Amino acid sequence: MNPLLAVNGVSKEYTKGNHRFQAVSGVDFAITRGETFGLIGESGSGKSTLGKMVTGLEPPTSGTITYEGNSLWNGNRFNRLKPGEMQIVFQDPQSSLDPRMRVQAIITEPLLALPAAERKEKGSKERLLALITRVGLKPDHLNRYPHEFSGGQRQRIAIARALITDPSFVVLDEPTSALDVSVQANVLNLLQELKRERNLTYLFISHNMAVIRYMCDRMAVMQKGRIVEIGHVNDIFVNPVDSYTKTLLSSLPQLHEKKEDIHV
Amino acid sequence: MLLEIHNLSVEFESMQDRVKALQAVSFSIDEGEIVGIVGESGSGKSVTALSILGLLEKNAHISTGSISYKGKNLLSLSKKDWQSLRGKEIGMVFQEPMTALHPTMRIGDQLAEVIHRHRSISYKEAYRQAVASLAEVQINDPELVARKYPFELSGGMRQRVVIALAMSAPPDLLIADEPTTALDVTIQHEVLKLMQELAQKRGTSIMLITHDLGVVAQVCQRVVVMYAGEVVETGTTQEVLHSPCHPYTKALIGALPDLAEQGQPLLAIPGESPDLRNRPDGCVFAPRCSCSLPICREDHPVLEPAVSGSLTHQVSCWGRNQ
Repeated sequence: MNPLLAVNGVSKEYTKGNHRFQAVSGVDFAITRGETFGLIGESGSGKSTLGKMVTGLEPPTSGTITYEGNSLWNGNRFNRLKPGEMQIVFQDPQSSLDPRMRVQAIITEPLLALPAAERKEKGSKERLLALITRVGLKPDHLNRYPHEFSGGQRQRIAIARALITDPSFVVLDEPTSALDVSVQANVLNLLQELKRERNLTYLFISHNMAVIRYMCDRMAVMQKGRIVEIGHVNDIFVNPVDSYTKTLLSSLPQLHEKKEDIHV
Repeated sequence: MLLEIHNLSVEFESMQDRVKALQAVSFSIDEGEIVGIVGESGSGKSVTALSILGLLEKNAHISTGSISYKGKNLLSLSKKDWQSLRGKEIGMVFQEPMTALHPTMRIGDQLAEVIHRHRSISYKEAYRQAVASLAEVQINDPELVARKYPFELSGGMRQRVVIALAMSAPPDLLIADEPTTALDVTIQHEVLKLMQELAQKRGTSIMLITHDLGVVAQVCQRVVVMYAGEVVETGTTQEVLHSPCHPYTKALIGALPDLAEQGQPLLAIPGESPDLRNRPDGCVFAPRCSCSLPICREDHPVLEPAVSGSLTHQVSCWGRNQ
């Protein structure tokens, strides 16, 4: 099957004066339709930079990214193939929602990129109400401002904003890292359900191994801008090959492992 | 007992409202013990820590209870007594290592200042000890790091400096409020190990505030689970994580993706945290509880042995014997 998204030899270098910093170097991976692909790494590993290059927020220095076989970048210009086809949910719902916009305006804003007829159809009152009820909000929430909501509710607003255009591909950049565990459980369940209902493809970026294992089919482990290991989630968790992956896995506090004896 | 908190209630007052942040909290920490305080945002973990340190805001009011440290009641201390206690006998490590350090002061001077303040030694000697304390938290080349500013260090290094700062006195009790939450897992692992070693070597007790049950499993001997400003369950780490008794503790463990099967939904807790301005008469968790009984809505449960005769494992739930 042809991949939905293919990343080939992608590098990103930031320069500041004479100082060069290689954020991503020579990364290859492909995501098939309907898959959840996890990207894991610690801070500074380049996972978010990669997410930005896929969604058109940062141009790659070299390499190609194709979506359904078409190149996404033409030099520093992003070729938006079809508006609203690809969406993103950011980590911090505190700062990713405009505090001076009402929820209805926030959720329907992505529609402004669509042609008028499609905008009208996708932005109909019934569709909007169905969507916000689906993500677990109430119709009277539409007239409120972001500060009136809890972190979990705000992330639901961000999810509704991503889904209003009926995307096929959604980049989730640490979508639950700022949430409490019980709230995280709700949001992860919602993301799983929405994926099934809408046949979505996810690129799931996280530093949390447990979340990646639970959510993803395949995953890539990033370290210092490179992919050090890539494969099926179960294979990597059961049988990690790369030494960095092994370190990551052994650093994860285990809930039901006997605690390390402190009287060594 | 090194620290004993008994029946502590704290209220915050604003112009219109009165928020009960802590409601009759009791627990204790023994010498050399590492105790985890677990709960989600708004559960009162940090307010508990601030109460012990005498750092509550002016609008906070301790309505009932006592905090005794080595037998003396901390709530009756004068400001001056507090200052000689904090940093010397009771150390603290906060979540964000950047804000805990002075941004324009060199690392060595920050440490030396604390040591000089609490001991009758010369500044030069204090500086020498400061460098030694950096070596103790496994910082390579401590002389060089001592001359650096906080912004020149990575997050993990800064947190080590904060731990060195907190341990420099050395304290008998270390209060660590989410010390590893801002750190990557590999660094978290090292920082936790370091705290554990220091506790073991010096006999320091640690009160470790965290939302991460994995961290608790790794380092704590006992756990206190808090919900909406109350202790709902307490016991040894083994008891609480392996045979949780309170529905909230069970839900907290069930909500973790760590043990979940792929494709199976995670156990989510319905509803929202309660409004602390109007606490319910009955059990504070009852509105979200999947197994609440009629009595749960009427009468407030108290901490009682989870299984009859247990001295360590206690739970505040009417349904504990069901």
